[in-house]
Amino acid sequence: MEAVLSQFGFFFQSFGTILFNPMNIVIVLAAVTMGIIFGAMPGLTATLGVALLTTLTYGMNITTAMLALYAVYVGAVYGGSYSSILINIPGTAAAAATAIDGYQMALQGKGGKALGLTTSASAIGSIIGGLFFVALSPLITTFALQFTSYEYFLLAFFGIIISGTLQSTDLVYKGWISGFIGLWLSTIGRDGLQFYPRFTFGFPQLDGGIDVVPVLIGAFGIPQIIQVLKDRVIIGETQKFKRILPEFGELFRHIGAIARSALIGVGIGAVPGIGEDIAAWVSYGAAKNSSKHPETFGKGEPAAIISTETANNACVGGASIPLMTLGVPGSPPAAMLLGALMLHGVQPGPLIQTDHPGFIVNITAIIIISTLAMWVVGILFAKQVVKILRIPQPLFMPVIAVLSVIGSYALGQNIFNLYLMVIVGIVAYFLTEMKYPIAPLVIGVILGPMADTNLRRALMVSKGSLMPMFTRPVSLLLILVIVLTVVSQTKWYRAMWAGIRLRLSSKKDQG
Amino acid sequence: MIENEKLRRADFVTSIILVLFGLFILSQALQMPMKDTYGGVTNVWYVSPALMPMIVSVVILGIAILLLVNSVRTGGARYFFESASRYKFGVSDAGFRFLATLLAIVSFVYVYIPRVDFFLDIILFLLYFVSVFYLDDMVLLKKISVFYLIGTIVMLAIAVFGLDTSLKKLFSYTVDILVLLFIVGLWAFERVSVGTDPVLRRKVRITLILSIAVPLALCPIFKYGLLVPLPYEGGILKLMDLIRYSVFGR
Repeated sequence: MEAVLSQFGFFFQSFGTILFNPMNIVIVLAAVTMGIIFGAMPGLTATLGVALLTTLTYGMNITTAMLALYAVYVGAVYGGSYSSILINIPGTAAAAATAIDGYQMALQGKGGKALGLTTSASAIGSIIGGLFFVALSPLITTFALQFTSYEYFLLAFFGIIISGTLQSTDLVYKGWISGFIGLWLSTIGRDGLQFYPRFTFGFPQLDGGIDVVPVLIGAFGIPQIIQVLKDRVIIGETQKFKRILPEFGELFRHIGAIARSALIGVGIGAVPGIGEDIAAWVSYGAAKNSSKHPETFGKGEPAAIISTETANNACVGGASIPLMTLGVPGSPPAAMLLGALMLHGVQPGPLIQTDHPGFIVNITAIIIISTLAMWVVGILFAKQVVKILRIPQPLFMPVIAVLSVIGSYALGQNIFNLYLMVIVGIVAYFLTEMKYPIAPLVIGVILGPMADTNLRRALMVSKGSLMPMFTRPVSLLLILVIVLTVVSQTKWYRAMWAGIRLRLSSKKDQG
Repeated sequence: MIENEKLRRADFVTSIILVLFGLFILSQALQMPMKDTYGGVTNVWYVSPALMPMIVSVVILGIAILLLVNSVRTGGARYFFESASRYKFGVSDAGFRFLATLLAIVSFVYVYIPRVDFFLDIILFLLYFVSVFYLDDMVLLKKISVFYLIGTIVMLAIAVFGLDTSLKKLFSYTVDILVLLFIVGLWAFERVSVGTDPVLRRKVRITLILSIAVPLALCPIFKYGLLVPLPYEGGILKLMDLIRYSVFGR
């Protein structure tokens, strides 16, 4: 009890320390606005927003840097709902489910109400996500302290496989290929144990391996720029809306949906490598299935947009759980946060509580402050932010290209990173066109060194025996989950399940 | 259905590329130390740097073969050979837009950034990239792209033949001056190309303002605010330094 109270005390202390610095308030408001713009603009993503801002945070202290980056993340996940509701084009993949009912509400003249609901629902989702983050992280770090190299290798492998499985929109193989291409990219450079140069092709610039930031900016920025300009994405006239109110009454009527969606968001966010978009769709499905009037979904049902927006914003806290406790990003923007943390000398993982006491509580305070800033900007300045949507894409996208270039260059101050960024970007564009998801590739790049080093370290300890992987409970569990994930994608597995369901239903009918 | 046909056709080609890629990784991994000594460390297979690349190559090869089999079964190979026999050379409007985007980004990063003042790089990049899409006219896109491509080839030739080094010996900022002239030429070409259409003329004006405003804001933020040296600091950035030190004294 005393420990909990002292944690609460530390939380309010962090909260106060951050808020009493006027510069922090300016930064959080600016960053959240930037995030909303990135979320609202079709073609720009939360990951790209976090990646570009990372460059600017290099000179800041870790608290201010994380404040700015989380503000962009929270703002961008929420901002996607603007274009979903007002022009029926989701600003981000996470807001695609919001467009179904949000745009219908706007057509019915309830655009202001829809935005008010998504603003407050997003804020509630983020806060619940933050609370789960602070509550679960200490438990997971304690548990993760028992992990050895076997578990870390399997965890990294699991992250790549699950991300590939769930992010694929065409064949599941494509997600796995994407993840393993990322894993290959991570092997470029001198290996961590023997410093042997792998795939460096004689380029000394590749000796240190490839930097994550240019790969991320290339993979998420360049394909979007090419796609938007090639396909002549023209943003239509935005639907008119009047005042935006917090809509607390309506939210209270859907308290059950909010609780369920927040849990879905946190749960899906905590699974390595998958993020807000899947959480929103799962939450939409759950809301429709549990509704007494499912026929109203798709026709402007407030419960639908409340569910999707609560879930996708709850993912922020959820994705931070594996990020901070295991060093495994829970979503693509969290992958960029991992890069930013490392730049600032913070190594996330089970030792984070020991190395940086109070860091998790500090991050919770940051998530909640970012959420409050998002809510304030959303309620007060939505009309002004929406004006940004009127800027023609051909004016906006080239400027984003310049920012991507300068962002990739600034961290390492190495022109070679720019060459790398363009190559990765063009390859990522073609992969995207052929429905290969890009998030698993990035997860592969991030988790690759963890998988490589820990596998070899584990085998070194066991003198080449793989048996300890099967005798340790957690690693055995991870192996089973990986095998099940892969097997569940096969035809015979689905046929088997269909057969079981058929038998069960026929028995029920007989009964 | 057409989308699915295209995807399976693409799967057929990419699966072959991925098989080759998997074989390439495997061939490289086989050259890495497996049992011999490297850097004073005697290797055994399980600590070899080849271990992870081998796993990756085997997985990629396996999945690529599955993808190939699937694409053949679902008609991907047939669609590919049918479309190859019907193929006629030609670039669609979307194809031209794709090439224009690629030209802008590739020339900016590989040709201009390593050897021309970064401030001028951004102006040239935006002046070309914004105008071809903002003017929203395929004829203008092609005309301006050809003009820009010729200028870029000249710039590339100067670099390839080492003329830039000789020119810089004559006067440090000769290449910057050449690019500045190219910028002026490109802008004049755009003005002439749009004729007297007031809407297009306004768009050219907006493009020029944006092209100058962006580096004017970004370069000082990164150079003086974040203390990040810019990729290539030529005449304009040196002039900016001079102004800054004259005005602020440090």
